[in-house]
Amino acid sequence: MKRRDFIRTLLYGLIAAGLAPGRAAAGQPGEQSRVSRFVFAQLKYRGGDWNPHPLAVTPLMEELMQRTSVEAAASRREVSLADQDLFSHPFLYMTGRYDFEPFTQDEIETFRRFLSYGGFLLADDALGQPGYGFDRSLRREIKRIFPDKEFRRLPTGHSALRSYYLLRRIGGMRSVHPYLEGIALGNATPVIYCQNDLGGAWERDQLGNWLNPCTPGGEEQRRDAFHLGINLILYAMTENYKEDLIHVPFIRRRLSR
Amino acid sequence: MTEFFFIGGLPWWAILLVALGALALLVQQFLGLKQRLGARAGGLLTSLRALVYAALIFFLLSPGLVEKRVHKLRRPLTVLLDTSQSMSFPAAPSAGRDAEQGKSRIDLVKEKLSEGKEPLIQRLARDYDLRFYQFSTRLEPIGPASLGRLEARGKGSRLLEALREASLDGGPQAGILLFSDGIANGESGPLDESASFPVPIFPVGVGDVQGFTDLRITDLSAPEFAFRGRELKIDLTVQAYGLAGKSVPLYFNRGTNLVSSRTIAIDKEAFEQRLTLSYTPREIGPHSFSLTLPPQAGELTTQNNQREFKIEVQRDKLRVLTLSGAPSWNYRFLRMALKQDPFIDLISFVFLRTPTDSVDVPDNQLSLIPFPIDEIFLEELKNFDVLLFDDFSHRAYFNVLYLERIRDFVRDGGGFAMLGGLRSFDSGGYAETPLRELLPVELDGKGGFQTGTSLRGVLTAAGKSHPITRLLPDLRANEEAWKKMPMLTSLNQIARARGEVLLTAAPDGASGGSPLLAVGRHGKGRTLALASDDFWRWNFGAVGAKESPQNHLKLVRQAVRWLAQEPSFEQVQIKSIGGPRAPGEKIDFKIRVVKDDFTPASHAALRLRVIGPEGEQIPVEAAPEAEEGEYSADFTPTREGSYRLEAEAMLAGKPLGRDRKSFPVAFPFGEVEDGRPRPELLKKIADRSQGEFIPLSDWNESSLKRITAKLEAAAPSQAVERRQVALWSTLWTFSLILLLLGGEWWLRRTWGLV
Repeated sequence: MKRRDFIRTLLYGLIAAGLAPGRAAAGQPGEQSRVSRFVFAQLKYRGGDWNPHPLAVTPLMEELMQRTSVEAAASRREVSLADQDLFSHPFLYMTGRYDFEPFTQDEIETFRRFLSYGGFLLADDALGQPGYGFDRSLRREIKRIFPDKEFRRLPTGHSALRSYYLLRRIGGMRSVHPYLEGIALGNATPVIYCQNDLGGAWERDQLGNWLNPCTPGGEEQRRDAFHLGINLILYAMTENYKEDLIHVPFIRRRLSR
Repeated sequence: MTEFFFIGGLPWWAILLVALGALALLVQQFLGLKQRLGARAGGLLTSLRALVYAALIFFLLSPGLVEKRVHKLRRPLTVLLDTSQSMSFPAAPSAGRDAEQGKSRIDLVKEKLSEGKEPLIQRLARDYDLRFYQFSTRLEPIGPASLGRLEARGKGSRLLEALREASLDGGPQAGILLFSDGIANGESGPLDESASFPVPIFPVGVGDVQGFTDLRITDLSAPEFAFRGRELKIDLTVQAYGLAGKSVPLYFNRGTNLVSSRTIAIDKEAFEQRLTLSYTPREIGPHSFSLTLPPQAGELTTQNNQREFKIEVQRDKLRVLTLSGAPSWNYRFLRMALKQDPFIDLISFVFLRTPTDSVDVPDNQLSLIPFPIDEIFLEELKNFDVLLFDDFSHRAYFNVLYLERIRDFVRDGGGFAMLGGLRSFDSGGYAETPLRELLPVELDGKGGFQTGTSLRGVLTAAGKSHPITRLLPDLRANEEAWKKMPMLTSLNQIARARGEVLLTAAPDGASGGSPLLAVGRHGKGRTLALASDDFWRWNFGAVGAKESPQNHLKLVRQAVRWLAQEPSFEQVQIKSIGGPRAPGEKIDFKIRVVKDDFTPASHAALRLRVIGPEGEQIPVEAAPEAEEGEYSADFTPTREGSYRLEAEAMLAGKPLGRDRKSFPVAFPFGEVEDGRPRPELLKKIADRSQGEFIPLSDWNESSLKRITAKLEAAAPSQAVERRQVALWSTLWTFSLILLLLGGEWWLRRTWGLV
């Protein structure tokens, strides 16, 4: 084995085994608690039920911090389309069960700017009834934001499904669709929609108990939901990074196994 | 010679009317006299009156005489003698078969004009108003006595231009006798069908087309600039005369190394083939190329068998490598800015997982790839233009020794930027690494990473004019744009900068503050420090404020270009190389020098040198111009070839930068490139001007007679003098009338009528 290969193998082995020097070494003592780079922002809206899973975010953030290098705030931030600091949070989560009121024209304009210039929306249907409730209202509002765009299924090779985990299944509390839908603008997909109720799968009480069973796949389906949540956050922060040529042969090799 | 004519004071019908009236009077008079004196006396008196009337009518016709005298004139004749370089070629290509054929074209012409008891030039001077000129690049009058001293040294043949100028010289009766090989390489295009000349031209062609041998490279078309890694095309034409049946190699060299060769099969006497050669440059900088055809036996000149040219190879795209310590919004919007720029090739590595992060799946279910440390730092780094550390600390991933490679990379001309964050500057542990000496800020190991305070980027004096922070051309508008930029919420604390500070971080409304954006140099390279991981807000925050995100995109792209030392971001720029670029002609250089903050450098030490065709170095003195930061110099090349100007400036002992530009120097005519005589052009000229083409070898006694006859036919060489004499206004005619009337009166008195 060449020296170069040895160092690479050793490094990768160290990373995989979690034995490399720790992250704490990267900052000054006490700084880490003050640093919150990623904030999970959840959209509040009028009508319907904007907050069906109030305890969903913290477990996901813990998972994100444990599995990836992303520095994240443990709790979510609630924002509306009229909030001044909406554009301080490029990642936006929107969920609900029921029909909600249409956005005002100003809100539509704001949302369009948000999504067109680098913002990202993860929409999550907590009802799981296509054509009813949240699903109906969301599609109506997205059509108002992007009148010439349609939700389309994300291909299995989409960057969002490869941004960290190589996902083959779409997790969630239910299994309504085995796919994600999205609105594409150029090479980016600033809107991704899941109808499997991801928030329900992530939700856990303060004693550490899962609040909702995942059916029909059970805990494996829940794990898939966490993996998808992490992937979507990393996709929002790295866009099509995993489509860069340098990644392609590695990913192809692993998927072929 | 004398002619009789009538001026005609009255119209013919009036004169006829008068004549009829007179006749009627005469008839009436005769009838009356016949009764009184008889027919004989009446007839006599009537005859006398008729004579008077006839004389009066004759005078009414105003008779006159014209006296013509014809004078013979000396006709102007312009003799043009081609003294361009091609006239020094042997008149007969297969020189050496006999002494006659070995003579040059101009020698044969000189002989023809000066041989014999009464040389042709003397006869022409005797018979014509002779105007004698030589021409090459311009028309120059000479005396017949200087014929023997003429030499064919002219760098071009402005044949058509010389003919047009000379044809205006002698007037409409002139003629032109032209001695030339027919090569015309002046500004005029080919002789078109509508071309005409005001006087007859008699071209005397010299040089033998039969047996002419030449192999040449012509119509070379090569780009002045090319891009690294991108194939470039070179078009050329190979022409061959008198080499039918031969195969010759064409060598394409870069410097002394053969790039490719090609065999050209010449299948006819007048052979021409268009070729395209290709080459893919792998290095940046000036590349010298040559194309060579080996000399063939019997060639008049071998100068045209080789062509040399230079191509400046540039980057096709800026190659930017980014290492990000973690996914972040900074990375997200940095990537957006760089990926959308078609002139930037971005390779990025984002460390998605730290060594302490645990995963719940086997590695083959992760998309993570190993970071190729050795490939990047030991092999590939030199192929990048800019390296960006984005909130990245080396400590968890590789040995500090790899950072020495980065120091070397910058010292050799690369660009390096460190962007802020928890893993950057002092927080990233760089105070004790080789990067410390190249960063434009001082690291003391104590600087922390501060978040939560709203800070604004405030332009410094240097930042107002620096190309990185100049987002808008207008200074005031640029300052306003910076004032509107969204606030930042994080800052790497840095005590001092070593380079130029372009932005400081200060609470809203405050001035001063610690360095936020600083730039500097290390060796030949440039460095940049941006002490925040929050400047993505300059993009998305601006969108939220209904402003354009363009300022952020522009800032990122300008910073990368400045780091990569793009020509437009060079502090020393050769702005122009003006002048005709021909040997002996002055060439003017204009150079602009700016300081590190991109304000004009008026007192820079500017060193200029010209690298000549053989690699010789010629220092050139530069002088400051009236406009600040502008310098000028001039240089006069002595010979043809490819030259390069190099400019390097220092200010207070510190290098400001350098620039270089190549430029060709060549006579514009290409006189010796193709020495083939062109009798066909001379024939055309003769046809268009009503003259006659005469090969020099066919010149004899009758040639001059034919020329004289043609000139005479075109415009006779004589002048006619006319003198008019009026007959009716003389005393004699008046006396005759009085005498006739007096005789009639005397007879009437004698016969008792009065």
